[in-house]
Amino acid sequence: MESVETLTCPLCGLEHRRVSLLPGEKAVCTRCDSVMSRGHRSRGDAPLAWCVTGLLLAPAACFLPFMSAGKLGAERVSALFTGVEALWGNGMRALGALVLFAGGVLPVALLAILGLLLASAKFPSIIPLRGGLIRAARALEEAAIPEVQVLAILVALTRLGGLVHVRMLAGFWCYCAMSLCLLLAEHGFDFGEISPADAAEGSPVAS
Amino acid sequence: MTRARIFQGLRGTSASAALALGAVIMLIPANTLPVLTTATTGINRSDTIFSGVAELWRRGFAPIAIIVFAASIVIPFLKIAGLGWLIYNVRHGGPSNPRRLTRIYVALDFIGRWSMLDVFLAAFLTGLVRFGALAMVQARAGIVAFAAAVVLTVLATRAFDPRSIWAKPAADGAPSS
Repeated sequence: MESVETLTCPLCGLEHRRVSLLPGEKAVCTRCDSVMSRGHRSRGDAPLAWCVTGLLLAPAACFLPFMSAGKLGAERVSALFTGVEALWGNGMRALGALVLFAGGVLPVALLAILGLLLASAKFPSIIPLRGGLIRAARALEEAAIPEVQVLAILVALTRLGGLVHVRMLAGFWCYCAMSLCLLLAEHGFDFGEISPADAAEGSPVAS
Repeated sequence: MTRARIFQGLRGTSASAALALGAVIMLIPANTLPVLTTATTGINRSDTIFSGVAELWRRGFAPIAIIVFAASIVIPFLKIAGLGWLIYNVRHGGPSNPRRLTRIYVALDFIGRWSMLDVFLAAFLTGLVRFGALAMVQARAGIVAFAAAVVLTVLATRAFDPRSIWAKPAADGAPSS
């Protein structure tokens, strides 16, 4: 059982004595060589700032026009969820829901949960820490994949080629910035540091 | 050991194997059925995953073709082969090199998400290119099968407990930590 004094490798299960890490240092499992914890350079408020910035960008990313496509004088403007609507309309509802959650809902939810966890560590008397939030964050880390959606859109633009004339609009750039904020917040976030005992309650994740 | 996910040994590998088998089955329609149909001024073209990659390559977008080929064809097959190798090693007498197998598991866990690229691509194109008779892109059944295969491979990886790689097989065949 992991405690405040010990750190269990999520990949091989070996227990280690917990040590405090300096920025740039890594805690490596002595048995399987996996990295269990990192001393982050952006220690302090940076991950919380990335979460807040990402959350501020989220409404713009979700609702501002994303792309405009033109063909022989006709123009069509799409938003982040236009593809989901089209799939839903085509009867591919499960696929639409998958895209909606993996590319839209879950990234925003993960930003909110990481922000809450970081704020609770900073202001423990105002926002009490909840073990459920840590478990939710660990589960969402796997499923929230906005960076894959950004790459897919860039590939799609290439694939459209001469079929239609495409312009990227504000919503797309806000979505890219929100994705970057999420990646930076995740990079600076350490589950063990938030509360080692509570973090141990969550399921193990591969780092 | 965590409360939420107690080490499950063979039960975990059975679930993982079943999900991986489901993914293998779904990859057959995913790679044979069309994933997208493009209609432009009366000309219809249906693409499978592979023909879409070949078209990108033919039009001179080699780097993009390589990215799509890796994400949509190589990664799903690599994940299933890797998971099969991990499950085989855990079930048959204990792994000879657990450290290497752990690295394989970490790699499989990391690359899995990138397979969703084709699903997002289909959703985006279907939503954007809707100009009636002028130009239209529609998602086809192949992309549903492909998405199911991706989700199943992700679940199979999650069902596999990497600690079972390090467990020594007990006398009755069940691994113990």
